[in-house]
Amino acid sequence: MDELKKIIVEFAETSKKTKFYFKDIEKAVQKVNPDAKMREIKNACTALINEGTMIYFSTGSSTMYGLKGKGMMEDPE
Amino acid sequence: MPFEPNEPQKEIKYEETRIYTDAELNSCSDEELKNFKIKHQIPDLEELENGPWPSFVADAKQEALHRRKLADERMLIDRDVVEDMLGQLQVSFDDGETHWKHGGIVGVFGYGGGVIGRYSDLPERYPSIAHFHTIRVNQPASKFYNSDLLRTICDMWEYRGSGLMNLHGSTGDLVLLGTTTEQLEPIFFELTHVLGQDIGGSGSNLRTPSCCIGRARCEFACYDTQNLCYELTQYYQDELHRPAFPYKFKLKFDGCPNGCVASMARSDMSFIGTWRDSIRIDQDTVKAYIAGDVVPNGGAHMGRDWGKFDIHKEVIDLCPTKCMSLVDDELRIDNQECTRCMHCINVMPKALKPGKDNGLSILLGAKAPILEGAQMATLIVPFMKAEPPYDNIKEFIEKVWEFWIEEGKNRERLGELMQRTGLPKFLETIGLPPAPQMIKTPRENPYILWKEEDVPGGWNRNVNEYRTRHKR
Repeated sequence: MDELKKIIVEFAETSKKTKFYFKDIEKAVQKVNPDAKMREIKNACTALINEGTMIYFSTGSSTMYGLKGKGMMEDPE
Repeated sequence: MPFEPNEPQKEIKYEETRIYTDAELNSCSDEELKNFKIKHQIPDLEELENGPWPSFVADAKQEALHRRKLADERMLIDRDVVEDMLGQLQVSFDDGETHWKHGGIVGVFGYGGGVIGRYSDLPERYPSIAHFHTIRVNQPASKFYNSDLLRTICDMWEYRGSGLMNLHGSTGDLVLLGTTTEQLEPIFFELTHVLGQDIGGSGSNLRTPSCCIGRARCEFACYDTQNLCYELTQYYQDELHRPAFPYKFKLKFDGCPNGCVASMARSDMSFIGTWRDSIRIDQDTVKAYIAGDVVPNGGAHMGRDWGKFDIHKEVIDLCPTKCMSLVDDELRIDNQECTRCMHCINVMPKALKPGKDNGLSILLGAKAPILEGAQMATLIVPFMKAEPPYDNIKEFIEKVWEFWIEEGKNRERLGELMQRTGLPKFLETIGLPPAPQMIKTPRENPYILWKEEDVPGGWNRNVNEYRTRHKR
């Protein structure tokens, strides 16, 4: 779990983008750790959300993940 | 089987939870309402009040007047929210485009859905609705409420939100329209901890599952829609609140092919009750219908005189597969040909009933037009038993999710993925054999291309030799 969390945070920190679809996180993690299962990656993301490292970002109809403090925060004004 | 909740249910008593007095709730007279003008000019919206049906504009104005009369400390967000909402809507009518922005980082802690950020792009003109977020509340199965709960939610929403709500959104949730970011956590606490409710699904989640009234009120229900809906809502809590799907996913449950929740058109995975034995016929009651002793259609459409009931004209000739006949005053049905249209059962509910070997059909891939056009669902499982603990259904759902999560692109619905991969590939992946029920005209439509290993003896076929006789 800790290893997955580290990979996710590293990916989110180094990417040009600031918000990610879950699928893109999954692909990035599996590039580093091909054995990681989707459910484990999701649990790692949930743990990062609960710790406050990551946040959910909603487009209104689909949901993305982002690092707290990186890119657009709060309301879109 | 009596309903057994997974955890003890709270009994809500409005007298204990209420926020407002009767005098505060009934503060506006009809006369006042008639003469009431909101602070903005809204000529186009007022035009909507002139139609024959009740208008949301009239309701919103009533709420605006109500909020004007409440004392300042009796509401936690701006008094003018409803008036500003109507004012902005008039501007949207004038401009022909919306002035709402949506999305962003609003939500309650740990949940990836249930709150939809909504912002005005005219915050200087309409400051009270600069932040006007929507909250979805998971509705009970079949939307059966106790009025104490509804009143309590209404009071809470008047106090902490705009007082505007939508019963119900297309997903089925009770939709609370308009509050500020600061109020989201307190509202979530009230709903979950105090009232024992939960918020619904939004975003790339499993959306709140929804079902018809099922066996609670309907004799046609072929399985317990409420129980299945409740069980799957509880079982898939993680999928409902923590998004990891490519896009939204909806489960809806119809107890019979009448389809009262229109699952076939509105859900990625639609469960429709059906039977695999024969329609039960009570021949004496059929005769009573023919003789005019029993009113057809359960008494519906009685507003005018349609003449004597004619079983040929009104039932037999309308059967889409022509599987019915009347021989010596006896109604016969060729059940193998029956397509479960429900028409005969609906017209003569006392004489005809669905069979007793009940279960459900599963259809996949319906959606509204967002990225691609609207799609109706495709029948994938013609018949499956639906009995607790529903392990067969859960296994199927998870197989489909596995495929969709693996293969689906970001923001691609299941129906679009099925279209992209093609039905044969899709069936192969989820491990189901092709069945004639999956398509409309199985005798004409060779939708499955056989592989050589599937056909006993295989085949010898030289394509080049074939092409010498048949030009492309």
